[in-house]
Amino acid sequence: MSKLSLVRQSPNITDGSAASADLTLDAEVCVIGSGAGGAVVASVLAAAGVSVLLVEEGGYYGTADFDMIEAHTVPKLYQEAMQRTTADLAISVLQGRAVGGTTVVNWTTSFRTPEDVVERWSKRHHVGGFRHADLVPHYEAIEARLSIHKVDEAAMNRNNRKFYDGCKAKGYAVDTTRRNVYQCLQTGYCGTGCPVNAKRSMLVTLIPDALDAGARLLYRCRVDRLEVSGGEVRAAACTLLDAGGYGVTGRRATLKAKRFVLAGGAINSPAVLLRSGLDGGGLVGTRTFLHPVIGSSGLYDETIEAFYGAPQSAASHAFAHRGDDVGFFMEASPGYPVLTATAVPGFGEAHRKMMSGMARRTTHIALAIDGFHESVPGGTVRLRPSGAPLLDYPIVPRLWEAFRTAQKRLAEIAFASGAKEVTTLHDPPLTLTSEKELDRIDQAPWEPCRVGVFTAHQMGGCRMGDDPRDSVVRSEDLRHHALRNLHVIDGSVFPTSLGVNPQESIYGLARLMATRLATRGST
Amino acid sequence: MNRRSFVKKGLFGGALLLLGGGGLALSPTRRLASPLRKLLVLDDRGFQVLVAVASRVVTVDGADPVAVAQGVDESLSRALPEVQQDLVGLLGLFENALPGLLLDGRARPFTRLDPAAQDRVLESWRDSRLVLRRGGYQALRKLCLGVFYSDPRTWPALHYAGPPDMGGFAHDDSQAGTPAWIAAREAGKEAP
Repeated sequence: MSKLSLVRQSPNITDGSAASADLTLDAEVCVIGSGAGGAVVASVLAAAGVSVLLVEEGGYYGTADFDMIEAHTVPKLYQEAMQRTTADLAISVLQGRAVGGTTVVNWTTSFRTPEDVVERWSKRHHVGGFRHADLVPHYEAIEARLSIHKVDEAAMNRNNRKFYDGCKAKGYAVDTTRRNVYQCLQTGYCGTGCPVNAKRSMLVTLIPDALDAGARLLYRCRVDRLEVSGGEVRAAACTLLDAGGYGVTGRRATLKAKRFVLAGGAINSPAVLLRSGLDGGGLVGTRTFLHPVIGSSGLYDETIEAFYGAPQSAASHAFAHRGDDVGFFMEASPGYPVLTATAVPGFGEAHRKMMSGMARRTTHIALAIDGFHESVPGGTVRLRPSGAPLLDYPIVPRLWEAFRTAQKRLAEIAFASGAKEVTTLHDPPLTLTSEKELDRIDQAPWEPCRVGVFTAHQMGGCRMGDDPRDSVVRSEDLRHHALRNLHVIDGSVFPTSLGVNPQESIYGLARLMATRLATRGST
Repeated sequence: MNRRSFVKKGLFGGALLLLGGGGLALSPTRRLASPLRKLLVLDDRGFQVLVAVASRVVTVDGADPVAVAQGVDESLSRALPEVQQDLVGLLGLFENALPGLLLDGRARPFTRLDPAAQDRVLESWRDSRLVLRRGGYQALRKLCLGVFYSDPRTWPALHYAGPPDMGGFAHDDSQAGTPAWIAAREAGKEAP
């Protein structure tokens, strides 16, 4: 006697871990990856009557799993259980892995792609297939479906409020962000899966829309490689993973379709192409951008509790444009215990002391805008012996300069909002007790693995453009230059980073491209 | 070592070659504790080194370095095979007295040093000219601290009351105002 399993009873959802035999599935379109790119494509095509198979490596989790405890949620919801790093271990990579992708764990900040960025792609990167105006109706449709709206100033938590007030005091342009939430209870745990489904992630919006319209979902299925012949992808060869997601069942899946859409994100999409022998003449995996992040923590007399309340509700783009220097933007980030303990530098008593002040500390971040200068070429995705991706991202001198400058601005913001001391993520930590000490930041060791650097925004690696010698997919419909039935539709197609949190840029571009595919197909 | 050789040799495999082999030790690893459960990734020697590392990284009263090391082994079971190999190699390198002799001037394995000397080894890796040693220190530090602070029993010392109690929760129709549970906290709030 066994209990009724509702997921397994659903006719259009298949748990790959439960398959008792190898699987062969057919569809008109196979979409690989169910995050910000793939879910949008699946929903648009399914609504147009196309038979869609949506494939996901991660697990299918819901509010019963989202218990706000990192030890339980992180291994379920993050790539490599949040232990993904760059090759030299200098940058920690936060990237989602679940049905719904990174949208399940992001901090809900929603920006349209800045118009000047789209213009630049057109002028510098031969992106002629669309203009900003073409994207606007798709942003509007996504904003309506995902309840994207501007945060009320009064709804900021103290961590964001300190950031906002500090920016105002220093005269740095700052505003509240827009978030994709509906009836948000401000628990603060966006990063471990919204416990009340207030976050309008792909998990609770466009994936159900796609399923309602007849799409099928196969999860715990990792695409190993695309089988190519005669200028086309014939099938996707896959491994079925066990229920925990870190082992294999020994079963395989073969997915056949007339058209394939690769949407695994900026590290996994290049890896699928590389495993398929499709290196694009050496272009695939290159120009991978991260918005590399440094952090700053102010210590206050009063309680901050950066772990509670909407984690990200204010942003400053005052230093996004710095001419020949690399720009950066600044935001706040949540302070969950494990995330904090691994970011806070040091060990032993020094670390314990820093942690004991966690509830009175702010956590503010600066994100460098990479990819806009020739001397900031980003990173390169390669394959490990096992076939898993490995990202090499050298932090070049101009990025270190941006980090130093940003660290000073973050310290100023903290002091201006009442911080008694400000600590960087250098190891050993650098602690300043007044704005007069900002010069000490220049003396700190700005080298890999001497200062904590993170990324939550992975972009590029399969860049779009109309010159096949300098791009992987064409910009008109994100079709692969050499394979007539393969498209890449996710954050990996961006030719540069964005200068804003990327989720809405991916939604808007994916919706435009999926609409084009649905209405006119592809040649 | 160029950047590409990370891919070929693995992070610390390359370092071991660079430093003249990983198997040589001037005296054997000190056995500190038995694992609480079957090890999933580490061998017993690596486990002993990790217990020694954890005892210096997590010095909070009542911290159990054996439990931390066991938790690290379990979290490594979810890592890529190459990362697992790197960590095993790293622990060997950390323990090994020969590279220690060359780079730090110490002739005894890490597990046989007194606590102050162990802290100096951690500091020398932290401050090393070699990015591999700095990265190795950071990896061990973060693994231990991540496991330790994932335990709810550590949270009171952080003045962190844990996630809100969502028991019996039903969606509130009102989007306005401060959620009730935050308002309740506000009422009796003191700075810790």
